[in-house]
Amino acid sequence: MYGGQKALDHLNLNVKEGDIYCLLGANGAGKTTTINLLLGFIEPTSGTAFINQLNVQENLKHTKKFLAYIPENLMLYPSLTAVENLDYFSGIAGKTFSTPELKGFLEEAGLQSEAFSKRISTFSKGMRQKVGIAIALAKEAKVLLLDEPTSGLDPKASNEFGRLLRKLKDKKVATLMATHDLFRAKEVATHIGIMKDGQLKQQFVAGDISLSELESAYLNTMDYKEVAP
Amino acid sequence: MISKTFFKETKELFREGRVRISLIIVLLLLGVSVWISTRQFQNVNAQYAMAKTSERDVWDNQGEKNPHSAAHYGTYAFKPKYPLSLVDQGVDKYAGTSIFLEAHKRNEAQFSAAADQTGLARFGDLTPDFILLFILPLLIILLGYNSFTKEREMGTLTLLKSQGVSNWKWLLGKWSALFMPVLIITLTLFLIAGILLDNLQDFGVFNWNSLGVMFLVYMVYYAVFINIILLISSLVKKSGIALVASLCIWILACLAAPKAASNIAENKYPYPTRQEFAANVLQDKKEGLDGHDPWSKEAKQLEKQVLQEYGVDSLHQLPFNFNAYRMQKGEEHEAEIYFKHYNYLKEQYSNQSNIYRSLASISPYLPTRFLSMAIAHTDYDTHWDFADAAETYRIATQEFLNGNTAKNTQYGERGYKASADFWKQLPAFQYDPPELGSVLNRNTSNMVVLATWLFATFGLLFFTTKTL
Repeated sequence: MYGGQKALDHLNLNVKEGDIYCLLGANGAGKTTTINLLLGFIEPTSGTAFINQLNVQENLKHTKKFLAYIPENLMLYPSLTAVENLDYFSGIAGKTFSTPELKGFLEEAGLQSEAFSKRISTFSKGMRQKVGIAIALAKEAKVLLLDEPTSGLDPKASNEFGRLLRKLKDKKVATLMATHDLFRAKEVATHIGIMKDGQLKQQFVAGDISLSELESAYLNTMDYKEVAP
Repeated sequence: MISKTFFKETKELFREGRVRISLIIVLLLLGVSVWISTRQFQNVNAQYAMAKTSERDVWDNQGEKNPHSAAHYGTYAFKPKYPLSLVDQGVDKYAGTSIFLEAHKRNEAQFSAAADQTGLARFGDLTPDFILLFILPLLIILLGYNSFTKEREMGTLTLLKSQGVSNWKWLLGKWSALFMPVLIITLTLFLIAGILLDNLQDFGVFNWNSLGVMFLVYMVYYAVFINIILLISSLVKKSGIALVASLCIWILACLAAPKAASNIAENKYPYPTRQEFAANVLQDKKEGLDGHDPWSKEAKQLEKQVLQEYGVDSLHQLPFNFNAYRMQKGEEHEAEIYFKHYNYLKEQYSNQSNIYRSLASISPYLPTRFLSMAIAHTDYDTHWDFADAAETYRIATQEFLNGNTAKNTQYGERGYKASADFWKQLPAFQYDPPELGSVLNRNTSNMVVLATWLFATFGLLFFTTKTL
């Protein structure tokens, strides 16, 4: 509940390992609230969120061991290098790696080797998102929560990000991604849900629906009426 | 996680230009202040050694002379500059360095360093204690004001929380990253001071334990400041507000509170003016025995009492010179008067100190300052000790001189002169400042206040960062 209004209403969502679940919806639909609930940043007034069969509210510290989170604008320490940032955030999660291992994660996340020892202050958003993925890889996260990760990325970077998500899918990572990007959702998702007013209005298996059908379903859910020019 | 956070914070700090510049400035200031203090320490102690030797030579070589003339001629008690004054000069500059010891009169210490300077001395000196007490807390503010606010502002707090950061480990990592540069700077200063003092002529008073305890006191002081700065940073949302709030705390703790304490103490327990003090002493002196006046009521009364005690009818029949005896009794009476009036001053000083102690609850600076000065032997307590020792020596000197006259002359005999080698028999003035243990005992309340500051701020910090 936010200010007497239901932020989420009867939301029943299940993301299995190896799934990439894309949540679509307009601003204020409840996508970020869903992610914050799973992160334990907010408490539900009713209902329960589970990660790896553990109640998030009751096992706040424990559930965080399984998840990685990449917000819309991933902020890292600007005066530290990519390797140093990765080392620190892995350390926070209780993991210690050698420098070659850390570089290995960054490479796996698609970051060019010349950037490993550069300060984050020189990085583009796409490069920072890759470090975010490297953090998830290093943590061996079972659950990946993404909040508008591709917004503001150029098509190439966005495409590369989609490729990384598929890589994580192969590693059986369960991914929940909130996005406005129908095209990217259709491209990477295994499942797609459309939210409105805190409710999950429609769900699809991504392979069962075409992009145009998805677009129609989305517009219908949003009650979008085309205005004549 | 503590060490990871520590190294991360340290890297971040040292990669910031403002931090590097501040550290260089602080180190330069410290270097200059230690250099100035060392030179001052050497100069003052060379002067002390020279004055002590030459004054004793003058005393020893008076030749044949009447002992009471020698008593009026007087001598000096000199206060050496104690080794740890190299670190904390305390009130040394304002308290005199020597006391003129003469018959009938207790004198104030004179020749203070401040009296030798122009009005510009009001601006203060660049001394290690100034850096330790004022500048290092400022450095802590500069290093730590945005410790938590930057995480909010940069957006890294969300990522940290999602990684399952343990708040107390995170806090300890940040805390130690702030503490380490301060520890290294202070440790370097104290080690340099220790090595210098170990190799300088210090009249055998220097000991590493005192230096170590003083170092610990400063470390607690900085720990309290770090706690306060981190507490502010964890409570406010913006770095700018954290900086302003931290600077306000610094102004309050280091500048306003000591001055307010001084005003309140002076207002509530004022010292008498020099004129009032002298008038009161004179008044009391008039009401008692004057050793020089054989015709006063008190002198006649003493005469009667002594004759009765020795069972003789005339002062000529006494086995000693009554004039010298009366002189000594007069000295003792005057000494009592001085003790009474100086005790009143001490009482006022003690009341003023209590005011400072009570205000220590709003400023960790106050107990630190008092402890530091006490350990360095540059506080008023040590100065009082020295003045009392000098007075005890003055009384003993008068007794020594009057005793010689009483023993070697007859009543009414005039023109007696003690032999030229007599003066050498007077033991030299020797003052040993209180030992470290007794200094700490005397400052228990300051230690308790400082410890309370430490634990209270730590407790508050842990409590507030729990919910970050």
